Amino acid sequence: MAIHLYLSLMPEALIASMLGPEEFGTYYSVGSVKKARGQAMFFEVDPRYRHPYFRTEEAFARCVPHEDGSLKASVYISVYRVLEHIDLNALQHLYLSTMDGRTLELNPDNEIPNGTDQLHLYHEIAPVTPLVVSRLGPLQFLDQLVRNPVSLITVPAIAFTELQLGELAEDPEMGLMENLPYENQDHLRQCLTDIKTKYATTKMVNRSHSPNVQYRTIKNGFFVGNTKQLRYFPMPSAEEIRTNNYRWFRSANM
Amino acid sequence: MNIINNWIYTAIAAGVVSIAAALSLYFWVMKQEPGTERAQEVASWIKAGANAYLVKLYRSLGILALVIGLIIAIIFSIQPETAGAGIVTLYFRKGITMSLCFIFGAFSSAIAGYLGMRVAVEANVRTATAANFSLSKAFKLSFNAGAVLGLAMVGMAIIGMSAILLWTGTPEAVLGFSFGASILALLAKAGGGIYTKTADIAADLVGKIEVGIPEDDPRNPAVVADNVGDNVGDVAGMGADIFDSYVASAVAVMVLGASIGFTQAEQLKYTVVPLVLCMLGIVASLIGISLVRVKEGQKPGPALNRGTIITTIIFAIFLFVFVRFWDVNPGVFWAGLTGLIAGVVIGITSDYFTNDQFKPVQETARVSSSGSAINIITGYSYGLISIVPSVIGIAAATLISFYASEHFGLSGVYGIGISAVGMLSISGMIVSADAYGPIVDNARGIAEMAGMDHEVIVRADELDAAGNTAKAITKGFSIGAAALTVIALFAAYAEVIADSGVMIAISLKEPLVVAGVFLGAMTPPLFSALLMLAVTENAFGMIEETRRQFREEPGILAGTHTPDYARLVSLASEGALTSLATPAFLAVGLPLLVGFVLGPNALGGFLGGAIFVGVIFALLMSNAGGLWDNAKKYIETGKFGGPGSDAHKAAVVGDTVGDPFKDTAGPSINTLITVMSLVSSLFAPLIAAFHLFG
Repeated sequence: MAIHLYLSLMPEALIASMLGPEEFGTYYSVGSVKKARGQAMFFEVDPRYRHPYFRTEEAFARCVPHEDGSLKASVYISVYRVLEHIDLNALQHLYLSTMDGRTLELNPDNEIPNGTDQLHLYHEIAPVTPLVVSRLGPLQFLDQLVRNPVSLITVPAIAFTELQLGELAEDPEMGLMENLPYENQDHLRQCLTDIKTKYATTKMVNRSHSPNVQYRTIKNGFFVGNTKQLRYFPMPSAEEIRTNNYRWFRSANM
Repeated sequence: MNIINNWIYTAIAAGVVSIAAALSLYFWVMKQEPGTERAQEVASWIKAGANAYLVKLYRSLGILALVIGLIIAIIFSIQPETAGAGIVTLYFRKGITMSLCFIFGAFSSAIAGYLGMRVAVEANVRTATAANFSLSKAFKLSFNAGAVLGLAMVGMAIIGMSAILLWTGTPEAVLGFSFGASILALLAKAGGGIYTKTADIAADLVGKIEVGIPEDDPRNPAVVADNVGDNVGDVAGMGADIFDSYVASAVAVMVLGASIGFTQAEQLKYTVVPLVLCMLGIVASLIGISLVRVKEGQKPGPALNRGTIITTIIFAIFLFVFVRFWDVNPGVFWAGLTGLIAGVVIGITSDYFTNDQFKPVQETARVSSSGSAINIITGYSYGLISIVPSVIGIAAATLISFYASEHFGLSGVYGIGISAVGMLSISGMIVSADAYGPIVDNARGIAEMAGMDHEVIVRADELDAAGNTAKAITKGFSIGAAALTVIALFAAYAEVIADSGVMIAISLKEPLVVAGVFLGAMTPPLFSALLMLAVTENAFGMIEETRRQFREEPGILAGTHTPDYARLVSLASEGALTSLATPAFLAVGLPLLVGFVLGPNALGGFLGGAIFVGVIFALLMSNAGGLWDNAKKYIETGKFGGPGSDAHKAAVVGDTVGDPFKDTAGPSINTLITVMSLVSSLFAPLIAAFHLFG
């Protein structure tokens, strides 16, 4: 029986499981009798990937069916500092699960968007979860977070997504906030205005933002990077999702 | 006399044609493709739930009808003229006649409602299946299924009224028929309203908000009860409600007509006029219904509106020809036309306050970003404003029909009644468009639950949007019609009392009248509160059960275990039916209590208070509820942050508050004031003879 290796972003954890990605997504977001449930985002990691930080073999040995024959859903290998110990090339697919257990598969893409003319809104997902506005495009933003030698605050690796700003990306003061369900809208406008008019390139909007993402607000896709690597998992358009994954489309309230 | 009888026979024939058309459409619907095994399985859950509720409802109503029938038989066997002298003469024939008319009225309304429900639960799955192929095919199927209820309802009503008039020769016996229909309507509408909102709230609060599953998801244990609720509330309930107003308006005019003119022939003629108007309305509706169709690429909403407008114009022409060539007072034409126009105008103004194209909904949506309290205050305020055009419409219709009739030498009050009949004469078409709504709503639910392609759901959404507009128009229409009907019934009450030798004198200088007005004004709010409390109490039980199922069986959410839908359906049914006793007493018992204790004048004041406050409450609750619902839907189109935004969260609260407003209490108030007016008219001779004060 195949054993899968998953890197969960919420919370950051490495998990061995006998369930395939869709079943795991349902299990992970819908919960079991333990009542742990909620939105989930996880990568499928190459099951051959090994790193001395993780006791993967030991976990695989424990990942066996239950006495009643049902599959072992999860064996946690690590719940701390996972992202920084993963070779990003081992990440195969990203899966987005909705609160009620529908799962969408995203494939990696080498064409990484990096628009710099507009303002940007980034939702950091792991290992920290602030909401940040920036003048920097995704590549420069990642650079600043993981490689900036002058910054006092860097992380060894990070996963984040860029959210839509609509008209605010050009005109934070007067632009309409159509279909953008963000809280504290006045504060968001002020932060955007600040980075547009002042010296700072980046400003925190919310230091401890909810890790849950409203999928319909994603502008382009998910970025995961460290000091050496960057992987990008583009989000299909709403129309594509509606056509190919209608159940997920409905469930995600797209 | 022969001409009069011929008109009555013709009215019966029109009723038979209407029922034959309904049956023909019913069998046509049944011949359509019922869909995949999965779709039929889902539909069978809804069908079983609806049948279970109807069996319980009709069993309870059957017992109630027999008990009330027995009471009527005993009470109407007493001749009041001799009662005061200490000698009570018994006329069993009259008592039994009234009792039979009452039971026949309840039975006719039940049959029409049952047929409508029956076709609705068969048509929903067929509509979903037809939507696989084309929008026009699905529209045709669902509209024809709605027409089964519309045509069966008017057919049963006109046959019942005509047959009783032919049999007894007195319109007062038709009051008994109307009372039977009203009692059934009250319980069907209030019970259906409680059922549908109980299930809706439980399904939404637990399924959508707590668990996060989409609308109509088969994993939601309350989803079948929710779909059943659409049928019992919006098909059977609304059908019974309009049946009630349709019959009540006609019978009020028949009672008033019997006292018009100097010759018996003239009195008979004006007694039969409302039946003729109903008959002309049936023919106009049959033509209008046959012209409603949608070609590929066209929108269904305009097709429904076109059908209503065509029916209205045809009826107006028929009315003119009838008045012109049958030597009827021209006041009948002008009064009927006034009612017809007022009905359409009231319907359209209701739409203004509930349509997201206009300011009230957009403004309520806009302020929602400031929180649910602001959403509720704004929606409630627009609900209050929405009373204005409808009340002006009702007042204008009352005044124009009164003075136009008086101008041509016809009784002004009779003219007001004719305007109500004119408004309701096209009920065949109005109800057809209204019943279409829950059928397509259910079709959408079945498409979701059966996992049909998203194109099917997109088409079902388009059909559903048209159904919502039709529903809003029908609500305004039915409230306007009920208002004019009860004004006519009030006059009928005064007429019946006068026949018993007591002249009604309603003056606010009289303390008994003032007491009556206050008691009457108190009744609609109290009735509304009882119904809404029934919704919250029953919803509480259903919410707990829905949560329990999710909690104890994780496989439900994982999609590996089927929820216990039947348990929720049963809870909703029992909750709805057991909550009806006190509201039913209010409707029937309170006017009698006021009449027998405080006397006929106080009862007149009581009816006045109940009618005016009832109309205001009905308009407020229906329109505010619809407005909150559409403000939420407007935000869901992406406005003001879209789904998940603060504005959306506030609008969801407003919508939940508005649900029992618009679908439980609001529409049931029409029936409440009709029942109270009918009870008063029916028991007027007895109240005139036996009362404690006044």
